[in-house]
Amino acid sequence: MRVAAGFLTTIGWAAYLGGALVMELVWRPLQRDLPPGQTGVLCQRMGRRYRWVALFALGVAGASWIAARLAGNAPVSVAPWQVVLAGASWAALASLVLAMGALVHPLSHLRSRAGASSEERAAARARRLRAMRLMNAMLRVELCIALLATALVAWPAPSTPLITGGVR
Amino acid sequence: MTSTWVSVLASYLHLLAVAVYVGGSIAMELVVGPAQRFVPPAQAQVIGQRAADRFLVLVWSALALFPVSGMLLFFSLGDEHTLSGTRLFTTTYGQTLLTMMLLWVVLVVNGAVITFVLRPRLVRRASARSGSAGTAEHLQTMQAAARWVSYITRADLVVALFIVLLGASMAYGHGLV
Repeated sequence: MRVAAGFLTTIGWAAYLGGALVMELVWRPLQRDLPPGQTGVLCQRMGRRYRWVALFALGVAGASWIAARLAGNAPVSVAPWQVVLAGASWAALASLVLAMGALVHPLSHLRSRAGASSEERAAARARRLRAMRLMNAMLRVELCIALLATALVAWPAPSTPLITGGVR
Repeated sequence: MTSTWVSVLASYLHLLAVAVYVGGSIAMELVVGPAQRFVPPAQAQVIGQRAADRFLVLVWSALALFPVSGMLLFFSLGDEHTLSGTRLFTTTYGQTLLTMMLLWVVLVVNGAVITFVLRPRLVRRASARSGSAGTAEHLQTMQAAARWVSYITRADLVVALFIVLLGASMAYGHGLV
């Protein structure tokens, strides 16, 4: 149980963090060299899929961690402050992914209706740009929280040796 | 105290390497790859190549980080005695560690095959003087290389997942092998 829980938590977290890193370090720089129309299509498709993959990965990491704790079979003992910070980080990340997926990302791809006046089109374009800027900021905040939360996992608990790689 | 900080840093880097390799491969396979179907094939090929170029840098960084952070972690914990003498071959913990190292070599070899053998075939252009037969042959070579890259990438992901399972068995148990 300890090994299975540890494996699932690690894989869930790795899938989430790795996905966020690929979006930031692979996809974002790639966008600059692409025609805007294709960037829009790819961004929309990837955004939809990434939302589900990220939520599923976060769900696996959180559920396996909680299940192991409730069963009194947690892989490692952690200090109360680590539990609180880990829970807060998880909640913040899940909220950010949900907010981006359900609100901000669709706004950044909103089209003007046919027959809209030039003022309406300009206003829609301004809304899209605002949503894109907000999305970029949220993605960076998300990545910072995820990287800090990883440090929490690597942090040793007061009464135990290290969490990864140690021989008990 | 210094040893604790070294252990924390090593542990952090080890987790980061796992995230980059495993999580990055999952994202490339489930998010970036399928999205390319929605743009014209020629553009999809360019996007695929550029994405792969960038991702390969991350992959090689992670592969280099695994042994460095792993050894740093191992020695900072003062666990050398657990593998002294022939224990690497005779204890469950040692055998698990040995299996992990061998599988890491498999990932490095596969990475080298993709980077230095298959990728150059994918980016090479057909010669204008080779005619239609040459162009068709070139296309076949490229398609075969793309298929192999896809097979090897998926196999690498399975191997990497098994390595993480072995790592979890060492960290939270006494090894798996």
